[in-house]
Amino acid sequence: MSAKTATARPDTSKPPKKGSLHHVVQVHYLFTLPILIMYLVFFIVPMFMGIFYSFTDWSGLSSQFNFVGFDNYGKIFQDDDFINALLFNLKYTVALVIGTLVVSLILALLMNQKIPFRTGFRSIFFFPAVLSGITVGLIWNELFLKVVPVFGQTLGIDILSKSMLGNATTAFWAVLIVNLWQGCATPTVLLIAGLQSVPKDLYEAATIDGANAWQRFKAITVPFLLPIINIVIITTTKAGLTIFDYIKALTDGGPNKATRAVGLLIYNDAMQGGKFSYAVAESMILFILVAIVSFFTIKGTSNKEAGDA
Amino acid sequence: MKKHVNIGSLIFKIVALIVLIFGVLMILYPFYIMIITAFKTQAESAADFFALPATWTTDNFLGVINKSNYFMYFSNSVIITVSSIVLIFLFVPMCAYAIARNMRSRKYFKFLFYFLLCAIFVPFQVIMVPLVIYMGWLGLSNQTGLICLHVTLASSQAIFLLTNYIRSVPPDLEESASIDGCTTWGAYWRVVLPLVKPMIATVLVLNALWVWNDFQMPLLILNTVPESWTLPLFQYNFKSQYTYDYNMAFASYLIAIVPVMIAYIFAQKYIVEGLTAGAVKT
Repeated sequence: MSAKTATARPDTSKPPKKGSLHHVVQVHYLFTLPILIMYLVFFIVPMFMGIFYSFTDWSGLSSQFNFVGFDNYGKIFQDDDFINALLFNLKYTVALVIGTLVVSLILALLMNQKIPFRTGFRSIFFFPAVLSGITVGLIWNELFLKVVPVFGQTLGIDILSKSMLGNATTAFWAVLIVNLWQGCATPTVLLIAGLQSVPKDLYEAATIDGANAWQRFKAITVPFLLPIINIVIITTTKAGLTIFDYIKALTDGGPNKATRAVGLLIYNDAMQGGKFSYAVAESMILFILVAIVSFFTIKGTSNKEAGDA
Repeated sequence: MKKHVNIGSLIFKIVALIVLIFGVLMILYPFYIMIITAFKTQAESAADFFALPATWTTDNFLGVINKSNYFMYFSNSVIITVSSIVLIFLFVPMCAYAIARNMRSRKYFKFLFYFLLCAIFVPFQVIMVPLVIYMGWLGLSNQTGLICLHVTLASSQAIFLLTNYIRSVPPDLEESASIDGCTTWGAYWRVVLPLVKPMIATVLVLNALWVWNDFQMPLLILNTVPESWTLPLFQYNFKSQYTYDYNMAFASYLIAIVPVMIAYIFAQKYIVEGLTAGAVKT
């Protein structure tokens, strides 16, 4: 492969500059310029600006600031608001990952059967994925006020009969339900594709050998799905750690700060004014968390992918 | 396996159908409520929230359109989405192509590839706080700034998808094109682009939806200037303004969803492909 580019016709009959490899590569450098410049200006600079100011006491408003080393970070870990937000995120992420895997795996396994209306089911289950998270959040906000309590009362389910958003414990689950309602769409489609990549004769051979459904699932289906399951875990973990839209639309962090996720806390601190360097330092902690999680899950995935069919 | 379709598997299929139908109801019921409420008057909803509208009224929709500049927000969203997509189409495949053809032989391109990939690991919150101040300094706390941010943040994933795809396309065709007198740009534009069309379509659909639906960035950059709001931002602010008018709120959600719904009906294949490809590589 590498030889191909290196020996890209050095022996052309005509020596025009235009076609020469040298000229081509020069143009290729130019091709990368717009994106490189935009990436530097709109991503790298703000990111380093954030890292830089997280070590200062700049309020964002004043003209002066001092270097304070790790002071902001020290303060953050003594800040109950931040600790609570972080705990919310961790609990929420675990629940979201498990919920997403269970629901989408069940849906995918069911839709992989030979049942009527398969494509119709798939179209409907995927539809929430194309909507804006904020729209979904706002719609469910109304449903939790006007519709869910009526169902709770009719069915005699206590938790549902009052507005789930008004209570600290149930608000957690309310946000999770909405997130799953929309968030299972893509994983389900991915898992269906994974299931269809499993060779049918493997199942037949296992059946002849006397394996029951659960054994076939464990020994054949799961290994084939592992790369996809890993992808789902990575994306869902990131979504859980950085959740913002649903919470903004459903609870805005309430009731009584119970659902205030780190993303919302950072946003509030950034917008409030006067807490610039502090808000930046908070975001750095989220950064480290997401980076660690992504690193480990990606490492896990790339190992698994070697055994993928 | 094939001889006796036994009772067990039949029962399993029936159970599967029941579970799936229940799931479908879970998905569709919110839309049903949204539609009936959007077409009812406030008095009707107060009397019975779940009943079908006695007379299907369009007052709520007219209310949304009159009380807000719905069409302005709609066109803002269109302008921002179309501009972002055009810029992504112009710049990103070009960059991915240069990287794909040189990353094995030249360090710069290899470095650039991984350098751009870094952004995938960085949560948006990290640049969110500096952006509030920084975009102000640049004088870009406006739609132009938002478009630039969308293109930049889309580029990491798009370059990753496209570079890998272009590397699977042999360079012979463009080489012979340039021997035939095509410029490097011409070879790229007329030979390479058509070959990578499927992946470009995937990338553009994915990002069009992403830009159209995005809430956090417009909230950050545009919230203080109502004339520049996008649809998601408008919905959020409209809802805070008319908290108790469910009918009008649902009408506003419905008219925001309809364009996406139409796109989904006509381009479902591409949308499903785009979103799943996006999930795989993020």
